[in-house]
Amino acid sequence: MTTPLAAMPIGTGSQLVIAPMLVVLVAAVGSLLFSRWPRARMAVSLAGGAGYAIAVAAIDWYVVLAPGAPGIATYQVGDWPAPAGITLVADGLSAFMLTMVAILGIASLVFSTRVLPEIDPRSYYFPLFHFLALGVTGAFLTADLFNLFVWFEVMLMASYVFVAYYGGPQHTRAAFWYVALNLLASAVFLLGVGGIYATTGTLNMADLARRLAEPAAYGIDLGPVVGLLAMLLSVFAIKAGLVPFQFWIPTAYRAAPPQITALLAGATKKVGIYAIIRLSFTVFAGAQISVDLEAPIVGAVVSGPSPLAFVGAVLFAMATASILVGGIGAVGRDSIEGVLAYSSIGQVGFIAIPVAIAATASSAELRHFAIVAALVYALNHTLAKGLLFLAVGAIRSATGTSRLADLGGLARRSPPLAVAFFVGSLALVGIPPLSGFFGKFLVFYTAARAELAPVLGLLLVGSLLTIAYATRTWNRSFWGARTSAVEEATVDPVQVGVLLALATVIVAVGVGFELVYQFAEAAAAAALDTDGYVDAVDPLEPSELEAAGEDAGGGEHA
Amino acid sequence: MTAFLLALVVGALFALGTFLLLRRDLIRVVWGLAIISQAANVYLLAMGGVAAGTADTVPVLAGHGEHVPETADPLVQALVLTAIVIGFGMTAFALVLSYRVYEEHDTLDVSELGDRE
Repeated sequence: MTTPLAAMPIGTGSQLVIAPMLVVLVAAVGSLLFSRWPRARMAVSLAGGAGYAIAVAAIDWYVVLAPGAPGIATYQVGDWPAPAGITLVADGLSAFMLTMVAILGIASLVFSTRVLPEIDPRSYYFPLFHFLALGVTGAFLTADLFNLFVWFEVMLMASYVFVAYYGGPQHTRAAFWYVALNLLASAVFLLGVGGIYATTGTLNMADLARRLAEPAAYGIDLGPVVGLLAMLLSVFAIKAGLVPFQFWIPTAYRAAPPQITALLAGATKKVGIYAIIRLSFTVFAGAQISVDLEAPIVGAVVSGPSPLAFVGAVLFAMATASILVGGIGAVGRDSIEGVLAYSSIGQVGFIAIPVAIAATASSAELRHFAIVAALVYALNHTLAKGLLFLAVGAIRSATGTSRLADLGGLARRSPPLAVAFFVGSLALVGIPPLSGFFGKFLVFYTAARAELAPVLGLLLVGSLLTIAYATRTWNRSFWGARTSAVEEATVDPVQVGVLLALATVIVAVGVGFELVYQFAEAAAAAALDTDGYVDAVDPLEPSELEAAGEDAGGGEHA
Repeated sequence: MTAFLLALVVGALFALGTFLLLRRDLIRVVWGLAIISQAANVYLLAMGGVAAGTADTVPVLAGHGEHVPETADPLVQALVLTAIVIGFGMTAFALVLSYRVYEEHDTLDVSELGDRE
């Protein structure tokens, strides 16, 4: 049994890949152990956060950014090689996503240590925080479809508790619908996974990509694959909060503690986006199947040589609706987090538009460029929306409210808070030299290069709506006469420090955009490099695979 | 025959789950979710296929030279085991949460829940 396994070549294997997961798992268990000593628990949590950042930075450097870096690293869990074992993969795309989450996660964690005394310090807040991070990290790193489902559940379980965290009437209600929706989504996810296993005989993403590229060699019928991909897409769209799956977002975002909402908007949402990009472009793009659908009412025709044509059409529709619903919804909200929650729906549309353009692009160059645009925009959204939700937390702990009607004149009361909020709003709107400018510019430029005039118009409308609600929120809460709530406000210096640090990151990303762009390009290249992914994860030729399977005496591949 | 039976069971479970999910009583909704997640598990098992076993694939069952039974794909069995654990955990959480909803709202009627702010 051991000889054929040992004889199998294993790609650019590296234990570094599991480092962030191990660190965050140890932090979660460690903070569970210190439940009686809140201070020690905070120290363990912060150390875990720092360790996580270091591990992610190490992956960024050794796998992607260093000169001569391999660009992809794999870790075969338990030394069981793919496709039967579980493989963890860190490539450019995973590293990019992990970096976003790490920056926001640290900010949210430090922020949490300052809000927590108000809540019960002995609650399970910190272990849950780390389990949420563990689920997100696992989802970014796994190369196995069922394992992706498991990490989704880990992430969701923690987020369920956070949505119900305060335990008031509106929190329990929001949490119940959030749980119910996600349980249904999980069932659909399982249906998709089961169907894919039945049609292709594998769940390893690399193996799946290889089999889909040569269906005849493996006796696969490609027809059902498009439908199964559609099922998975709907699950990921729920996680990403794309219209028509957006309805849970406003209530859940309002119910969760603001520093967790920052993570829900910045990290959990991006897991959905990541899964869409990874599955559509790395895994399913190689399937040669002519898609030919005609939409009866609008008369549009969806056609193309791969399932991407279908993905592109669906994403276009969902992104268009998201931008409009989110933008229009945000203009009329009466609390800051309501505005931001609807804004999240709109902004995820801005991320999905370039992904849709990439899916329908005719040239490889445009496809690559469109994914870069989507990633840069996602980075900006994570930073800006994270900052703004944390700012809501700071405003709430200072004034006790976040209703626009009860706020006013905050700018004079706490200029640093105002500066941070202002930077976040400008990044959302897309003013140079902040990160938002490049995100927005790249998305517009992608649409222009794809020569899609209606999409350009849509993006313009979406941007105007962004300006409208950002200005309205700013005017209502930071300018004008001071209300009694603002008059009595005491702003926590550490909270504002976290906000200013995030604002500095936003400015730094804009000023040093050259490096960020290179990173995003590496990430997009990794997302599109199916062959590289397959070679690294599962580097066997089909003939070798069968030989190895027979040697090992396993009947799993039958 | 087995495949036909499984298809029937999956269909019936999904129908029952959906029916319960659309009820006004929160506990029924939780039951509906539990049944749907179990239906997904049965479906997963069916997707691996149930095939005649050989002495190689089921050595334990075939150990005494007797008739070798039909077995499900071992990979799918492993997946279902995981999915069952997750499903039960989620259902338990949903039940606890519905109790908490009852404490906070004094009702389990979905339409009344929606009206209150």
